Amino acid sequence: MLERLRRIGETVGEIIYGMTTYEWARDVRRERGEVEHLFVLITFGDIVGLPILPPYYTLRLLPYVVPLINRWKRSLLRERDWTDLTGLIEGIG
Amino acid sequence: MNSIIVLILGALGIGIGYGVYARRINENIVQPDPNKATPAKMYMDGVDFTPASRNVLFGYQFKSVAALAPLTGPVIAVQWGWLPALVWIILGTFFIGWVQDYGAMIMGVRREGDTMGALSYKLISPRARNILMIFIYFYLLLIMGAFGNAVGKTLMVNPKVPFGMIAVVLMGVLAGQMTYKWKQDIIITTIVTVVLTFVGIWISTLPFMSNIFSALYGLPDSPTVFMGNTQAQILGTLLMIIFCYLGAVLPIWSFAQPVNYVSFWIVSLGMVGGVLGLLIWRPGMGDFPVFTQFTTASGPLWPMLFVTIACGAISGWHSLVSTSGTARQLEQETDALPVGGGAMFMEMAFAVIAFLTATVAFGGWQGYQDAGGAGAALGVFAKGLAAFLGRIGVPETFGTAYGSVFLTIMALTIMQLVVRFMRVASAELVGDAIPAMKNVHVGTIVALLLTLLFVWIIPWLAIWGAFGASNQLMAGLALLLIALWLKAEGRRNTWALYPSFFMIVTTLAALLYLAYVNFSKLGAPDITTQGFIASLLLGVIALVLVVAAVVLIVDGWKALQAPRKEEAAEAA
Repeated sequence: MLERLRRIGETVGEIIYGMTTYEWARDVRRERGEVEHLFVLITFGDIVGLPILPPYYTLRLLPYVVPLINRWKRSLLRERDWTDLTGLIEGIG
Repeated sequence: MNSIIVLILGALGIGIGYGVYARRINENIVQPDPNKATPAKMYMDGVDFTPASRNVLFGYQFKSVAALAPLTGPVIAVQWGWLPALVWIILGTFFIGWVQDYGAMIMGVRREGDTMGALSYKLISPRARNILMIFIYFYLLLIMGAFGNAVGKTLMVNPKVPFGMIAVVLMGVLAGQMTYKWKQDIIITTIVTVVLTFVGIWISTLPFMSNIFSALYGLPDSPTVFMGNTQAQILGTLLMIIFCYLGAVLPIWSFAQPVNYVSFWIVSLGMVGGVLGLLIWRPGMGDFPVFTQFTTASGPLWPMLFVTIACGAISGWHSLVSTSGTARQLEQETDALPVGGGAMFMEMAFAVIAFLTATVAFGGWQGYQDAGGAGAALGVFAKGLAAFLGRIGVPETFGTAYGSVFLTIMALTIMQLVVRFMRVASAELVGDAIPAMKNVHVGTIVALLLTLLFVWIIPWLAIWGAFGASNQLMAGLALLLIALWLKAEGRRNTWALYPSFFMIVTTLAALLYLAYVNFSKLGAPDITTQGFIASLLLGVIALVLVVAAVVLIVDGWKALQAPRKEEAAEAA
């Protein structure tokens, strides 16, 4: 019984979090992600055809950037249109 | 009919709709796989694709879709009688609403997080994406007009409302400062800002404060100043414009986001209090008619009822939220039904509460008319909510001001985000030809000027019908896409296809009706300049949407007739 109540409490808490500050966390994460992607573009832009910094810096950063190269490329080159912006607007109904 | 019976009918609709119908389709046709990686897990770019738990996403989806529109439509729609409105709210959600939300979400998950734009391009035709963009642009313009009209010309002209709204805004800004700059605990921030907001709303009802706004507005007999709008209405809309401007240009963390957060608590507490009051009171409908007449001020029951109650039964906007937002955050495919379908059924509950504010709060039909009727739907809702809150001890004056502030802030939080979107979209669309449009302030001002044009010129009921029609047309498109996707997967699609036909035919009829009515008015001998511009604008928009819809139907029909790739390969 107590376990059940605890789980109900957790569920309600998560739902309220989703309605309230989840969006804040998402926006902050999104902003951090965009800055990170910009950084990778500046340092490893040759992957998508941009001129790059001298190879010394690229090699120093390589171990940190390799794990996220695929994700970054996909995010950068993903086709976008206005319907991507509809995430800006909530609560129309 | 007693309100408790209506609530029971609503609960049955949710129970059978979700528990039986939706579950059967989910398990037997779509067959989500809990072990299959979703785009959120596959891509996890930390920008758009990030997994979240189903409970968190349910809250996020519900908040994104349930807002002002499901509260407004039912209050207008009861002008045809309570039965047609209630039947559409329940059966519309049962057969169509959850299908769209859930279908768009699972389609987005299985198509690697593609947006509606990309899906329209791939599944229907390249020009279907352009048509969707036209729908979105006009839809947002009409939203600004509809909500702006309701807020600026109805809610804000009550002198007990503006200071309450200012209080919400100031407390929102404070919440942003406390959270991001002063790093305060979110619970303390919430308590401080929400309590101070309630104090602000209370202050707004005090004579000294309402007298200031009465004097500014020129009340009690506010003079007509411009295009049939009174001084109070002009000032009310200007206040609204200032709010939208700030929300669109300031960093999102400092204004839009925290104001939205504080508003959420004001709205939620109001709804919870209202429902409690309703359950304690348990009023009946009195002499509220089951059915009034086929044709009312909003037009004939078919097709206009089905576009008047949009978001409480089915809303095209939800498909955009489901694909661009939630589908990219689902942890498992099996979360799509509770999140997408569940949130839509909960929104139906919202709409039922709004329905009850109109039908049971005023003792009957005459009470509803005296409160303002369909032409003053938001005022009716505010007064109805105040009546429910009165049963838990909230004084009527405070309750009415609270209900009005509640609705005002709901509308404004949407409008500021729409202006932000329109600014970005305009910069993309015309920014190369007109570089000034890339400027944040110029783009925002242009969007707001267009809003003022709609708000000051076009009557509320007319614009609500057009807004509903454009929204429901998007719903028809979304359902068609879902049906095409299911066909491509080799799965049965009639549960999405037939609702799509219904929505497209109904909204096409509604738009043709609106075009006909508005163009007919142009030739009237006693038409004013304002009336002429309003009718011309609405008629043209309706016609543009009709043309766009016809092109869509043609392309959609061709896509439906095209054989699946496997069938074509076998035939070869």
